[in-house]
Amino acid sequence: MTRLADTGVSEEVLARACAGDDAAREAIYSALAPATLTLIRRMVGQRALSEDIFQDTMMTFYERLPQFRREAPLGAWLRQIAISRCLMHLRSPWRRARLYLDAVRLPGAPDEAPPPVTPPYAGESIDVERALATLSPTARAVVWMYEVEGYTHQEIAREFGRSVSFSKSQLARAHARLRAWFEPQDNRQSCTLN
Amino acid sequence: MHPELDREGALARLLRELPDDVAEPYGFGEFQHRARQRSQSRRTGGLGPLLALAAVAGVAAVALWMRFGAPTPRPQVAVVTGPISRGAAPATGASAPSEEAMERWLASLPREPALARVGNRAAVTGLEDRIAQLDDLLSAARAEQGQPAQVLALQQERTRLVGALVQVRYAETLANASR
Repeated sequence: MTRLADTGVSEEVLARACAGDDAAREAIYSALAPATLTLIRRMVGQRALSEDIFQDTMMTFYERLPQFRREAPLGAWLRQIAISRCLMHLRSPWRRARLYLDAVRLPGAPDEAPPPVTPPYAGESIDVERALATLSPTARAVVWMYEVEGYTHQEIAREFGRSVSFSKSQLARAHARLRAWFEPQDNRQSCTLN
Repeated sequence: MHPELDREGALARLLRELPDDVAEPYGFGEFQHRARQRSQSRRTGGLGPLLALAAVAGVAAVALWMRFGAPTPRPQVAVVTGPISRGAAPATGASAPSEEAMERWLASLPREPALARVGNRAAVTGLEDRIAQLDDLLSAARAEQGQPAQVLALQQERTRLVGALVQVRYAETLANASR
């Protein structure tokens, strides 16, 4: 997987983009947009929502580009904006209200997890995708930030505005849930089509 | 269990190995197009919050005026004199059903707001007290077979106060929802 945080662009392209050159901005977009959208998609799951947050992230990125201080790779700076946007969504009252409405299911409605985002030909990764999809959005974000993006518990706690123990407990519960998911299949209820 | 999940760092490895072509972003042209659209909607949509704020402020001002500035309704039943006709119930007119609806809505709200703010709280308790006073007066008037016109006046005043209470509490729910 391409890590957004490790991705950079040449100093010359960056300088031109900061000066407002559209071709340079397009070059940066080509270099960073795929990994950015992938990161957002992994964090929030849903495609339409991911595109919305992606658009917001890239707009903020270009607005703030002249303020980029070159202390880290450009991708790391963009990653910070993307994660911040994802967490803003997770914390928003509208999302909480929607979660509440989603929780009020009609009797008999199927309790299904969101579909995995990886296409089904991807072999082993489909299992990991399905397992991730069983986690709550907050737990999935914590797992992704800790395990893949390399954030520490302190950094995650700061991003969420919560305590370090919040991050640790979210991660521990997510690990337990993922282990349970990968328990042998014969322990789990099978799903057959009649 | 997944064969590797118990090993140190196994989950991180599995996650990092996930393919990164799950979602191909749209092109730069489409991004710029959407950015322009969003900027336009931000400019035109900027009035919405201002209007909502103005509406809430207006309702709060009316509630405060009613609490502290409006003339106190006279206890008209206290000066009732003259003959009383038995069984002459006041005609409350078309306002009764809507008042019932308002009261049902008020009853569906939590008795105490989760977070009590002094401004709202004073207005709500003031209105509730005045409605309770009017209820007492109405009960007394009906028990004493009061004049229909005076009972009707009390009933109308009560409807007006219930309407004001609905507006204040609605503004409160809006403010809570936007927090």
